[in-house]
Amino acid sequence: MGLIVKTSARAIIPLIGIFGTYIVAHGHLTPGGGFQGGATIAGAGVLFLVAFGLNEMRKHYNKHLYSALEGLGGLAFLGAAMLGIGTAFFYNTLWHNGPILNGKPGTLLSAGFLPIMNLAVGLKVFTGLVSALVAIAMYRRWKS
Amino acid sequence: MKRTIAYLSLLFILGVLLYVANPDYGLKFGPGGDDWKNLRYTDDYYITHGVEEVGGTNIVTDIVFDYRGYDTIGEATVLFTAIAGAVALTRPWRGDEQ
Repeated sequence: MGLIVKTSARAIIPLIGIFGTYIVAHGHLTPGGGFQGGATIAGAGVLFLVAFGLNEMRKHYNKHLYSALEGLGGLAFLGAAMLGIGTAFFYNTLWHNGPILNGKPGTLLSAGFLPIMNLAVGLKVFTGLVSALVAIAMYRRWKS
Repeated sequence: MKRTIAYLSLLFILGVLLYVANPDYGLKFGPGGDDWKNLRYTDDYYITHGVEEVGGTNIVTDIVFDYRGYDTIGEATVLFTAIAGAVALTRPWRGDEQ
């Protein structure tokens, strides 16, 4: 892309990233959450790829790291669900008698495992969408 | 012939769905008052008890991550499988490098 697009992308990509992180981190207080925020951050990845091209994306994209982070997001989600396994699967033990994340409803450090799950799902969605996007962008066989 | 039957079947299904969607015979849209208590008692429970039972003020997040967390696990699994399938199918084929 041209110079104007590249410069604008340089300014806008951090803003999209910060806004997506805000959506993920405040998933238990305001509309949004892991899936929506992860898709928003993946939009920053799309903008990077479109504005700077595939060769630049290849330098900053590590296939193994993104695959590992996607698996790690899923495992963190399951681990947060397992925290209250003494009572039941998906028992919100951090909220009922946990040491952290048990503030007043409406504050950031409240709602038990919901922020952990939001972060895990946001990480998973972001890395997954970027992986699929790069895989499709590298699929360069127009003929045959 | 087959295509005609297929279109007629689609038309029939559309008619049935339109009949069901009629408020006089089937679904009710925007229930309020007593209808809200009778038809949407689950929503009423979530709205009343969600904040004290789960702690998040966003009731949708309370439902999808706590009350019905299995559904979210399934959703994450679907996403994982879709990404794995897309990445696996778009890899270069053997002997495709030149």
